[in-house]
Amino acid sequence: MNVQSPNISRDRRVISQLDEAAVNRIAAGEVVERPASAVKELIENAIDAGASRVEVAYASGGMSFVEVSDDGTGIPTAELPLALSRHATSKIDGSDLLNIHTFGFRGEALPSLGSVARLSIETRFWEEDTGAAYSVEGSVATGPKPCSRVRGTKVRVADIFYATPARLKFLKSERAEAKAISDVVKRLAMASPKVAFCLTDRTDGARKLLDVPVETGALPVALAARLGRILGREFTQNAIWIDAERDGLQLYGMAGLPTYSKGAAVAQYLFVNGRPVKDRMLTGALRAAYMDVMSRDRHPVAALFVECAPELVDVNVHPAKSEVRFRDAGVARGLIVSGLRHALADAGHRSSTTISGATLGAFEPERPQAPVYQMETRRVPAGHTAPMPGFAEASMLSGRVEARSADEGSYEPEEGLSPSTLPLGAARAQLHENYIIAQTTDGMVIVDQHAAHERLVYETLKTRMAENGVAAQVLLIPEIIDVTQEQIAALEAIAEDLARLGIDLERFGGNAVCVRSTPAILGEVDAQAMIADILDELEAEGASVGVEARINAILSRVSCHGSIRSGRRMTADEMNALLRQMEDNPMSGQCNHGRPTYVSLKLADIEKLFGRT
Amino acid sequence: MKVNIERSDLLKAMSRAQGVVERRNTIPILANVLIEAEGDSVAFRATDLDIEVVDKTNGMVNQAGATTVGAHTLHEIVRKLPDGSQVELSDDGQSGRLEVKAGRSHFSLATLPKEDFPIMATSEYASNFAVPAPTLRRLFDKAKFAISTEETRYYLNGVYMHSADGPDGKTLRCVATDGHRLAQIDDTLPEGAEELPGVIVPRKTVGELRKLLDDDDVQIAVSVSETKVRFSTPQITLTSKVIDGSFPDYARVIPAGNTKRMEVDAAEFAAAVDRVSTVSSERSRAVKLSLDEDRLILSVNAPDSGAADEELAVAYADEPLEIGFNAKYLLEIASQVDRENAVFMFNTAADPTLMREGSDASATYVVMPMRV
Ligand SMILES: Nc1ncnc2c1ncn2[C@@H]1O[C@H](COP(=O)(O)OP(=O)(O)OP(=O)(O)O)[C@@H](O)[C@H]1O
Ligand SMILES: [Mg+2]
Repeated sequence: MNVQSPNISRDRRVISQLDEAAVNRIAAGEVVERPASAVKELIENAIDAGASRVEVAYASGGMSFVEVSDDGTGIPTAELPLALSRHATSKIDGSDLLNIHTFGFRGEALPSLGSVARLSIETRFWEEDTGAAYSVEGSVATGPKPCSRVRGTKVRVADIFYATPARLKFLKSERAEAKAISDVVKRLAMASPKVAFCLTDRTDGARKLLDVPVETGALPVALAARLGRILGREFTQNAIWIDAERDGLQLYGMAGLPTYSKGAAVAQYLFVNGRPVKDRMLTGALRAAYMDVMSRDRHPVAALFVECAPELVDVNVHPAKSEVRFRDAGVARGLIVSGLRHALADAGHRSSTTISGATLGAFEPERPQAPVYQMETRRVPAGHTAPMPGFAEASMLSGRVEARSADEGSYEPEEGLSPSTLPLGAARAQLHENYIIAQTTDGMVIVDQHAAHERLVYETLKTRMAENGVAAQVLLIPEIIDVTQEQIAALEAIAEDLARLGIDLERFGGNAVCVRSTPAILGEVDAQAMIADILDELEAEGASVGVEARINAILSRVSCHGSIRSGRRMTADEMNALLRQMEDNPMSGQCNHGRPTYVSLKLADIEKLFGRT
Repeated sequence: MKVNIERSDLLKAMSRAQGVVERRNTIPILANVLIEAEGDSVAFRATDLDIEVVDKTNGMVNQAGATTVGAHTLHEIVRKLPDGSQVELSDDGQSGRLEVKAGRSHFSLATLPKEDFPIMATSEYASNFAVPAPTLRRLFDKAKFAISTEETRYYLNGVYMHSADGPDGKTLRCVATDGHRLAQIDDTLPEGAEELPGVIVPRKTVGELRKLLDDDDVQIAVSVSETKVRFSTPQITLTSKVIDGSFPDYARVIPAGNTKRMEVDAAEFAAAVDRVSTVSSERSRAVKLSLDEDRLILSVNAPDSGAADEELAVAYADEPLEIGFNAKYLLEIASQVDRENAVFMFNTAADPTLMREGSDASATYVVMPMRV
């Protein structure tokens, strides 16, 4: 029989070794995806070379060229050809791939760049008297020849992918590529506050996009200054410093207050041993940490650094080194979740300053369209169909504020209720049956009574649930759910946590689990869908918060019903009691949806309104 | 078409019709009722494509004919007309309006062509039999509290009607469960029901069926096929698709070996459960039953709001037992008991518990405990 399949092509080649240029081009595809990846590799080389200033320039989104120069050690003239051959590196000796202290370790970046672009290097090794220039185009190298460079190295990568036009097609618009470059520079600059960075777009003329000096001071100070320069002052003012440690892993950085959030996960910067990473496990942990204080459609802002001994984390799992694998992912996740939660709890009373900024803006008559970052336009309280009146009209409209202060006496602080000792001050008035105005030592506080009370009720319910566990409803007909071997193992690994949440399950034959009970509070549940959700989460984030989130959502609904409504008049005693409870409760600064429960205005701000500064 | 109908007759027919018509409809014709006048009766037909109800009312037909008109509007109008009035419905077949006249009121309602009205296809019924209304009422009323509302388990969203082997021979049996509790109600199998295929009657149909069962003297003609079920009185015909799915093998989960027997006055028991659960504000209030010789202590412990307990005299002669239940489940099964004492049969705190009405084996309830 010799019937030929129609798919067989007649011109099959004999097996032969690919030439070096082809091999390099294939490898390059993994390292160099777009101009931004070239920038990343070059900056990392500069930092590895001990640079204290890195200058980056590009034109046409990096498609025409990218260029990185530094003031580091430089490359010895004799080593230049070697620097451009594959698997040649000065950073490790190959004996211990687990102990890496530099960004680079593969000796792959420069040869890869050299095979997809026109690469030229000018360098001056710090112990040599003259500079050297070297360039590669295709597989043809020119040099080294002398040049006039005084210090450090400058690498230029021009006409990227000129040799592989197919890859060019995958590039996005110039603008998108330029954005990717600036993103890379920003991320690396965040991780190295002791290095100055400068980014210039030289498409036409020279446009400076970023210029940050070497930051001074100890690490927290320097890092905070750097983050402020790159992410904006607003971020650092609305963020808290994180510092936590667990089992040899250290976590530090800054995390935004829940009231300072974004609509998408765009401002989350995670670093492992100084390396910017985009890691599902870590972003999942970040989300889990904020789960309670932010609604699901908001996203936290954070720049977090995890440091550990190099052997605890494998950075060699992704060609662009953007993913990492911790030896113990559970510890890393736990560190982030608990580190952030504790810090957030401590900061529960700091509502974002952009809010009071916005409030002030709203007060100021000459700036009617002040930027409002967080304040949600609240619905008009029941009983008022007209749009919310301004402050001045308020007392006229309800008339109750005055009436009450007349018959109950004004809200003078009671005995022992001096504002000086109380962060949220003493209640002075209630406006529109929903807002409590309290006087503090250095200003005033406006509390949304419904949101605040709802949060308090929610916290109590949650504590109670944590203390007593979740009641489980045993099922009449246990649900048998088909899953894979690995999924069974994953579920068994968290069986104890699940039991705590009311879910009892056990292995059922080789490829199924049997669910015997579900959380009673959820009523009748689709166990199949619930397990599927848990498995999805386990896979995506290494842990599952879904069931807990669902239970919390119900608690939150219950607490909404059980709390003081807007529109209820409160006595002075009641208001003060609420303020005191809020002070006692670390999480009372935001409502269950991440909106602030109160805003504070400093006396200085109020004085500014009246031009008294 | 031109007919005259007594307001009370029209109201009855229309309230049955609008029960079937969904409030929100994307297909306009489904919001309408089809009115057909012929001979000396007027038929009102309404459908949601799964259920169809036809109600034949006596009326004076001056001119035969048919049209369709918005069911909710007509129902509202008739409801607001004074009792005892005569209502005239007329349609000239051209203007696209139905004129409704009663006393000095006059309404002109938009109609849709009768040809567009979907008529449910008739089915070959495998089994036809007659059941007295009170029997059917008991079978469905006692089972329906256990119907599941979880839509993903659609096969539990109804009452499973089938023939089964009871302790005293063949029975007509209704079973419902939501996975937390189960009700199984039996009656003697009527003649002609031997070939009855098991069908799951959807929750909505159960509700509409109930409206046919108020009159104790009526015989209900029941017809069942694999895909449809029909209940009719001389005046009304309710046809419904059945749920396309298989009901779980419920017999396996009804415990046979429970030995710990407690007998308690059902009303007293329910009242006590209701009282103690007041202290808990949780959605799934857990009540603990602590049994000792002839003594039951019901207790609720809600750490934040408080605790409650109540002691009841019961007949119990087995070893002490503690078991927790969702208060709502206990209340619902206890309220199924009409005359007799409630008899509970327990095994352990993690196993299903069985409940019967006295020594009557024709109604069986199972409830699953809660682990607190
Ligand atoms: N800016 C620079 N200053 C000093 N030496 C450099 C510079 N860039 C590259 N080198 C030298 O060239 C070598 C090759 O660089 P390359 O980036 O290709 O590999 P690597 O950094 O060792 O590893 P990786 O492929 O992981 O980046 C480096 O090991 C280093 O010795
Ligand atoms: Mg490198």
